[in-house]
Amino acid sequence: MGWDGFVTAYTITALDGVAYGLLLFVIAAGLTLIFGVAGVFSMAHGTLYLAGAYLAWHLADDAWTGLTLALGVAVAVGALGGAGLAAAVRPLADRPLDQVLATLGIAYIAADQFSLVFGAEPRSVDPPRAVAGSVSLGDYQYPVYRLGFIAVGVLLVLGLFWLVERSRTGAVVRAVVADPGMAAATGLRTGTVRTGVLIGGGVLAVTAGVLGAPVIGPAPGVDTTILVYSLIVCVVGGLGSIRGALLAALGVGQALTLGVALAPGAASFVLAVAMLSALTVRQRTALAGRPA
Amino acid sequence: MITTLTPSSGATVEPVAPCREVVPAWLWPAAGAGALAAAVAMPWLVNGYFISLAATALVMAVLAMSAQVLVGLAGLPPLGQAAHLTVGAYTAATIATLTSLGPVQLVAAAAAGAVAAALTGLLAVRARGTTFLMVTFGVGELVHAGASRWAPGGSEGVHTPPVVALPGLPAMTRPGWIYLYVLACTLLIGAAVAVLVRTRFALLLRGIAAHEPRVQAAGHHPRRLLLAAYTFAGGIAGAAGALSIAVTRYVSPADAAMAISALALAAALIGSGSMTGACAGAILLVAARDWAGGLLAGHGPTLLGLCFLLLAYLPRHRLAELTIRLLRRRA
Repeated sequence: MGWDGFVTAYTITALDGVAYGLLLFVIAAGLTLIFGVAGVFSMAHGTLYLAGAYLAWHLADDAWTGLTLALGVAVAVGALGGAGLAAAVRPLADRPLDQVLATLGIAYIAADQFSLVFGAEPRSVDPPRAVAGSVSLGDYQYPVYRLGFIAVGVLLVLGLFWLVERSRTGAVVRAVVADPGMAAATGLRTGTVRTGVLIGGGVLAVTAGVLGAPVIGPAPGVDTTILVYSLIVCVVGGLGSIRGALLAALGVGQALTLGVALAPGAASFVLAVAMLSALTVRQRTALAGRPA
Repeated sequence: MITTLTPSSGATVEPVAPCREVVPAWLWPAAGAGALAAAVAMPWLVNGYFISLAATALVMAVLAMSAQVLVGLAGLPPLGQAAHLTVGAYTAATIATLTSLGPVQLVAAAAAGAVAAALTGLLAVRARGTTFLMVTFGVGELVHAGASRWAPGGSEGVHTPPVVALPGLPAMTRPGWIYLYVLACTLLIGAAVAVLVRTRFALLLRGIAAHEPRVQAAGHHPRRLLLAAYTFAGGIAGAAGALSIAVTRYVSPADAAMAISALALAAALIGSGSMTGACAGAILLVAARDWAGGLLAGHGPTLLGLCFLLLAYLPRHRLAELTIRLLRRRA
């Protein structure tokens, strides 16, 4: 083994961290835009991921058709879920605490129904047979699916960046994040933008659930775990910032894989410190908070 | 400056005050005494299942008071109070290997809860509004994750011996005695909180909730005041942890779960600013989750979710105003 062996082991773990971070980014990008545009801290965001993961478990077989079907259904479920959440929080405008309560109530009911339908035990989801094996990287075997996931994740990141930072739609979204009042005064339909962002975030979260099911499989409680990690990504990256979310997601991914491997048990500590430093450094700008 | 600010904010936030004018003066103490008598007589009136349910409800009532110190006084909604409860519970479980004396465990747990809150508070009191909620939620879940790795017993949790109420008494194993012990501790903690909400400190917290810049302009340090409130609330939550050990004789990382923090926050919101209301809300929610949920084949979470939805959509501030107005008209 020697020194080289150790280096490779950590490199492999770091690669896992990249996959984890990209998955978190796809989920958290939706949450950070939802908070930035609509001011809603959706407690049901992890529920959408879990819905996607259960979709993958239910529909996926060892061929591509299962995954394609699951992805198609995921887009529909995500859009419906996002529209439902938008309709649920619409009467609660200017009452952020009530929005939290409402989305939390929805998350509770959904979690109870999930365990009723899919059982209380964790389910494992296998990737399609074509990408089920592993390739050798140096002395180590690495799952092909995870490499493919990283590739798809990078594509999703590029697509999201183009959409938010280059396209006209993105310009409208960024305008509403920056100054909702001014955006409304210039004739932008802020209500439509809010609904659109909730729908987009829903589609992203459920799709991430289908793609991520072989990485973070469906089980009761996964919804909360995903919600917490994407929340930390949002806080560390700055609420409403897509660039910050990407950097934070990659950092959190490393903390959760490499951090656990290097210093077992320190991961939560590292994440708490990351949140503290983010709040300390940027408390006057991105994290001024909205009145309760 | 403060003398002009405090009476007005005190009068507007206290929802009970207007009722006192209409309802006869003797009714409130009489109702309180009646409720207390019913609570004390409970072990002789109902079966063991309801008594242990009532003891759980009292633990949640203490946690709801802890949440109410933050959301009702300072206007900051916490979603991580269960973390401080867990710190208190693990402290009490560790102390239990040395002594079974309940009061010693209670004090140690409260102190540990306060210390933990003072540390996490450095992070939390920088944020306001929904961001405060998000940060306390994140910190609470990190404690939840850390507890299953670091705490004694791991994710399996720790079992503790039964608690002794006072030196010389036998260990409490019957649910009735445990309930009475928890009731006595809850009343003591309630008294401490009742003293707190009548201090100038509480008025300053209400001032921060109403208009923070003005409190700051008057020469106070909002962040220090909020940290003190957060620490105090953490101490109460820690005490609730010691009581939960007395009831269940067991602590596990699951006690730090978001579900418990959410229940405490929702109970505080049902109470809309009042401590008695927060306790009533906690009892109501525990009844919905455990008792009614048990009747509905274990669908407590769905029932709790419906409660949260109801709480979100009912215009509860307007309802409170309406009740007050109706009471006035009748007089």
